[in-house]
Order: sequence, then structure tokens, then C-alpha cells
Amino acid sequence: MPSPDTRSPDRLPSPDHVLSPDGAAAVEVRDVEHVYGRGAGAVAALGPLSLTVPEGAFLVLVGASGCGKSTLLRLVAGFEPPTSGTVRIGGVEPVPGRGAGVVFQQPRLFPWKTAGGNVELALRYAGVPRRERLDRVRELLGRVGLHDVADRRIWQLSGGQQQRVAIARALAAGDPLLLLDEPFAALDALTRERLQEDLRKVSAETGRTSVFVTHSVDEAVFLGSRVVVLTARPGRIALDVEVGLPRTGLEPDELRGLPEYAALRAEIGHAVRSAA
Amino acid sequence: MNPTLTAPRPATRRNRRAGVRLLSIAVLLALWQLAASATRNPSFIPSPRAVWDQLVLTSTVHDGIRGYSGHLLVEHLGTSLRRILIGSALGVVAGLALGVVMGTVPWIRLVVEPLVTFVRALPPLAYFSLLIIWFGIDETPKLWLLTIAALPPVAVATASAVYAAPTGLVEAARALGATRWSVTRDVVLPSALPEIFTGVRLAVGIAYSSVVAAETINGVPGIGGMVRDAQRYLQTDVVVLGLFAIGFSGLLIDALLRAAENRLIPWRGRA
Repeated sequence: MPSPDTRSPDRLPSPDHVLSPDGAAAVEVRDVEHVYGRGAGAVAALGPLSLTVPEGAFLVLVGASGCGKSTLLRLVAGFEPPTSGTVRIGGVEPVPGRGAGVVFQQPRLFPWKTAGGNVELALRYAGVPRRERLDRVRELLGRVGLHDVADRRIWQLSGGQQQRVAIARALAAGDPLLLLDEPFAALDALTRERLQEDLRKVSAETGRTSVFVTHSVDEAVFLGSRVVVLTARPGRIALDVEVGLPRTGLEPDELRGLPEYAALRAEIGHAVRSAA
Repeated sequence: MNPTLTAPRPATRRNRRAGVRLLSIAVLLALWQLAASATRNPSFIPSPRAVWDQLVLTSTVHDGIRGYSGHLLVEHLGTSLRRILIGSALGVVAGLALGVVMGTVPWIRLVVEPLVTFVRALPPLAYFSLLIIWFGIDETPKLWLLTIAALPPVAVATASAVYAAPTGLVEAARALGATRWSVTRDVVLPSALPEIFTGVRLAVGIAYSSVVAAETINGVPGIGGMVRDAQRYLQTDVVVLGLFAIGFSGLLIDALLRAAENRLIPWRGRA
């Protein structure tokens, strides 16, 4: 059950939040298998696997390295078609740049643009008129906790700030789906925690459907409204649990202190270890 | 005191470097003067003084004669620089376009690359005769020569940089909804810019060294034509003066290109 808070009507509506009718499946993965290479050198990376992500859910994919979780995300983003089976976003075949914003493990910002310029470019591709872009850039950067950095060069930002810009850029197009591929893996522990908390807030504010890939069990429980554990290669679903924790109103430490939190952590941690 | 143990302030260090440079120039001038005095043959090694006098003569109107061969030194130099500018600009634009196409479409690269490499290997003087036959002896063959000489380095640098465009950034742009053309304009070309610029500096250098060759035929006004005429009349001091004019303006232009590079590509080496 997705947490009700994210979809309550009294939630502040965000201008870019797109809802499809009646909680339709935002992502539908059916009988998907994926193989890299051909012939003797072929490697089965994923599947067969079926998965449905309802509108507004925050799904976290957890698994050991090389279990195919990033592959699954790439298929959902439309970067490559699955070897067999079907992937649908909002009922249609995924095409990069249509329907899903992506955040990668490395920020992948364009160094020839400023921080604001990176976000502005995304707005331009999304067809936002020029005169509105400046305000939207400031608003988007503010939403990820960045102020007065719009004119900075990329190399003048810390790793955490760069990843925040990357998130703002992925949110810019207003796509109903956000895909994140281990976005905090390369950050130091303290920065990572901060970004997790802020992403949780942003996600609650925008109510956007998200698919988040990680190998950290704690990150999965902290962020997810639902957690799916994948087996070792070729990745299949080992465990699929709803996280019934409140999405808003609790401080991070309070949340982590809940007995249910510890129980989920133990359950998912066990599943990850025995699946690897 | 060991100088490596002390860390002088940047200003001091800069002064010291300038001092060393001035000193080395003075030493070179002294050696030159020494060689000129020892050989006592101004047609073989003209003295610095004689070259300086030629600088004054070729830069002024004297006895009703304007500079050298009817043109002032700056006019000779200006004409050559204009040829270099037009020739390398055409070569850079064409090389850029060709390079982008070569880097994007594999079969075009396959077909065109050997041709470009072949032309690149030819000394410009080798195909100048052909250009003379085709285009006569006026401006046209000279500009063609410089264009053809400037094109290959830019095309090769652009092609390899475009081909090796960072896939991570290309993917990021596609995920933002960039069209194919937007990806080329906003990601592939900017990321190739550092290498393209290296190609441009190379191209201008080649155009520079080719202009003298291009001006061996009907090259007046032009610094190459001036040197050629002076050689014919054994005016060695004018020849040396021409060499200095070419060398110094070349250094100046490379410095300008470098400054432009630092302004245009501030992220070079940082991201």
C-alpha cells in the first residue's frame, strides 16, 4: 500500500506534478529478460521479471553489485529495449526524454554550462518559454536546497551540490516519473544522509513516482514506500515489501528510531544477503 | 643560499623570469653582432644594425620610394595576415563541418579519412603548382592553398573528438529530451571544443608556414613576396627582417588564440 500522505488532497499541489487518471500504473514491466552480448559471451543480466509501479509510489530496487538493478532502470528509461518482454511508462513504450527524469550515479552535469545553465537547458528541451526559465531555475534549485549557486561553474560546487543540481535538472521537465541510479553512492556519509533527507522531502512535496536503485539497505528503507530486492544475476525479484512508514511529519532520527524501521531493515538486509 | 629552498612571491618570480628572457635576448643579439663582425660579409650575415636600418627604410617613404617594392612593411605583413586569416578561416569552417560529419557518420569517415590524411601528408608547395594551373596567379590560388593546408588538422581533431563524445553526457542530454541535433549542438560540439581548438591552432600554424610558399609566385605585396624579391637581389638584411616580421606576428597570433581558448573553454582540464 503506498503511503496515503503523498496523495492526500490537502497536499500542496506542485505546478509540474502530472497525475494520470485513477492511480494507473506509472511503470509496467512484464516478463522482461535482458541479455548483454551474443553467442558464447552472452551474459543474462536480468529476469524474467514482472513489476508494476503504481502512480505516486517511491520504489527502491536493492541488490548486490551486478544483480541487474541498473539494467532494469536503463530499460525503464528507454536507453535500450529489453531482449524480451515489454516495458511501459504511462501505457507507452519508454523513449529517453519523454516521461521520465533520470539522475545518474555521477552528476553528469555539462561543464560548459553554469549550475543554473544546466537546469535551464532541461527547461528549454521541455519547451518552457525563455522568459519563464530564469524564475523556474531559481525555484527548482531552491527546491533541492540550493541558493545563490545558479551562476557558479560546475567545478566550483561540491560533489553533494553537483548531485543536487542534477536532481533539480531531472525535475525540471516536470516528468511524472523520476529514475535515480545510485545517485548518492559516490558521496561521503554525511552528505549522503543530508541528500537522502532532502530527497525524501522533495518526493513528498511533489508526489512524483520514483524508482530508486541502491545497494544500501538503510537507504532503501529510509526512502522507499516499497522495496524490491533482486537476486544475483540474472536479477529476479527475491522480496517485494510495502514500507508502511509515515512519509511526512517525522524527523529522520525519529523515523530511524521506530521499531518497524529496524524490523524492515533486518528483513530486507537478510533478503539481500541470502539473494546475493 | 639555495634558491629552490626559498619560495619567492609570484610578482618576484615573474620579474625574475622576465629578466632571464631579456638577458637571453641580449646574449643572442650580441652573438649575432659577433658573427656579423667576424664574417664581414653583409650579404651572408647582415649586422643587427643593418636589419634595423631596413626596418626603418621599409616602413617609410624615402626618395619617393614607398617602403620595399612600393609597399610599406606593414602593408606586406598586413596582406599576408589577411591571406592567412581568410585561408585559415575557410579551412577551419570546412574542416569543422567535415569533422562533425566524419565523427557522426561512420561510413563517411571510412571513405574520407584516407583522403584527408593524404592531403595532410602533402607539403603545400607540392600542390601549389596544380592550383596555379587551375586558378591563375592572383589571390585565388593562394587562398585555396591556405584553405587546403588548414583544413585537415581541424577535420581530424574534430572527427576524433566528436566520435569520442562522452556517452554519459550524451545519455544525460537524451534523458532531458534533447533531439539528435540538440545533442550535437549542446553536448557533442562543446565537449569537442578543447580538441577542436588544438586543431585550429595547428591549422593557423600551418597556414602561417604555407603563406611564404604561396607568395613565391606573384607575391607582392606580401611578406613572402618581399623576402623572395630580397633574396633575388641578395638583400640579406631585408630577408632577415622579413623572417622577424613573420616570426613575431606568428607568436602574437598564437598568444591571441591561446587567450581566446582560455576564455572560451574555461572548463578545460577541470571537468
